[in-house]
Amino acid sequence: MLLDIKELNVGYGDIQVLWDINLQVKEGQVVALVGANGAGKSTLLKTISGLLKPYNGSIIFQGEDITSMPSKEIVAKGIIQVPEGRRLFPGMTVEENLMMGAFRRKESKNIKPELAKVYKIFPRLKERRQQKTGSLSGGEQQMCAFARGLMGNPKLIIIDEMSLGLAPLIVDDLIDNVKEINRQGTSVLLVEQDVQLALDNSHYGYVLSTGKVQMQGNSLELLRNQEIKEIYLGL
Amino acid sequence: MLLQILVNGILMGGLYALMAIGMSLIWGVMNIINIAHGSFIMLGAFTTYWLFAILGMDPFVSLAFSIALLFALGYGVQRYLINYVIRASAFITLILAFGIEIFINNAALVSWTADIRKVQVAYGAANFSLGNYVTIPTIRVVAFLLVIVISIAFFYILNRTNLGRSIRATSQDLDAARLVGVDVAKTYAITFGLGVGAAGAAGTLWSILFPISPIMGGELTLKSFVVVIIGGLGSMLGPIIGGLALGITEAFGTNWFGSTYGNLISFTILVLVLIIRPKGILGGAD
Ligand SMILES: Nc1ncnc2c1ncn2[C@@H]1O[C@H](COP(=O)(O)OP(=O)(O)OP(=O)(O)O)[C@@H](O)[C@H]1O
Ligand SMILES: [Mg+2]
Repeated sequence: MLLDIKELNVGYGDIQVLWDINLQVKEGQVVALVGANGAGKSTLLKTISGLLKPYNGSIIFQGEDITSMPSKEIVAKGIIQVPEGRRLFPGMTVEENLMMGAFRRKESKNIKPELAKVYKIFPRLKERRQQKTGSLSGGEQQMCAFARGLMGNPKLIIIDEMSLGLAPLIVDDLIDNVKEINRQGTSVLLVEQDVQLALDNSHYGYVLSTGKVQMQGNSLELLRNQEIKEIYLGL
Repeated sequence: MLLQILVNGILMGGLYALMAIGMSLIWGVMNIINIAHGSFIMLGAFTTYWLFAILGMDPFVSLAFSIALLFALGYGVQRYLINYVIRASAFITLILAFGIEIFINNAALVSWTADIRKVQVAYGAANFSLGNYVTIPTIRVVAFLLVIVISIAFFYILNRTNLGRSIRATSQDLDAARLVGVDVAKTYAITFGLGVGAAGAAGTLWSILFPISPIMGGELTLKSFVVVIIGGLGSMLGPIIGGLALGITEAFGTNWFGSTYGNLISFTILVLVLIIRPKGILGGAD
């Protein structure tokens, strides 16, 4: 088991948002986490990355308890999050953003090979590497955020709302990139409001509803589930 | 004559720029208006004074000690004091900085009395002439060159190193910086150290050029503040532009209206800039 979340309870101050969350990501999998606005998806991701401390419960990564670790150590262990809304560093160029992605790596002195690898996946970023990220299109910004995540050499990459606000063609390209990364051995936790997209492109899925895991199962089965069809797919 | 005033203004402006660089950095990255900045400049000045008075160390040598000492002090003050209220409102950090200022000033007054002191170096009076009209004290030129060197070092650290990138990342998006693994607490402490270290450098140069006393800090904080506002936050060129602007206008102003009007002139510029360009001369640029 790569990531094993057990009985996690999380909130902001006194306001509890997540209740008894159990979630697992196996090595090599793409796992989808779907749910409506405000279900608590991003809250769970913040907790995994150490931005938010849970009330109780545990997060185990590769057999090690990372529940109360600071984010910098969690990043160093190989859990990299591509946050909701891209969150690029606006005053920096594309290349500087990518370099920041490699900040925790011990060998970050020489990241040229990694840069080259990422530029090969996203040639558009190479063309724009001296440009400030504010001047990129939405799709390019998402590429840059994704690429910055890859620069951290993730074992598990967590992508929050990648598709938001992007044209379907660009989303298709990005999903192809995700699958390619996964084929090369990186596990993925794909967080989406677009339930169809997420379940179409994952092995396993969790449905989060008002802070609780409402359903889980193989993505194909979830896609055929009557309840999901009615509530989330509008069929 | 005009040329002489202009040269004086530029040389003074360089020192103002160095005073303001540290304040601007801390303000821009941590959103702290460091009221104690001038007191740290004072400590830098006294570091140089005592090393000169006791050990006979040349001020241009003690510059390194002053920077190192003030860096360490700034690092510690951030890490073990300000860090505890960094999530509080800007008002709380302002009050804390105010408290630090009062503490430093009074500790210095008690230890060193309010006497005005001078670092009297042998070469202090040397000067040279440019053409027939302009006479320049050599020491001011050397100080100005050092300001340039220190500023370039600052720019280099912030723009070309991993440390600098992590400082900029933290100021641009705190959570995103955490998510790439930046140690934010440490970055804040280093930033504060760098800002206060620059204040130490400014203090050393100040002590070479002017008399010093434990109560000099307040006015220097105000001057630094004015320079930061004039130049505009968010740009590392801001303090340089602001410093030169203040130095030059002050030079002409005191020449025309008398030196007692120095501060009045600074604040008139401040008010004018706030009216005409509320974000500073370079405001909005990066
Ligand atoms: N910083 C915060 N302080 C207090 N409450 C918060 C905070 N952030 C989120 N919440 C609340 O927590 C709940 C879950 O929010 P969260 O952002 O995790 O949802 P989400 O599933 O990611 O939604 P979306 O699909 O819109 O991104 C919401 O009710 C939200 O209002
Ligand atoms: Mg969300």
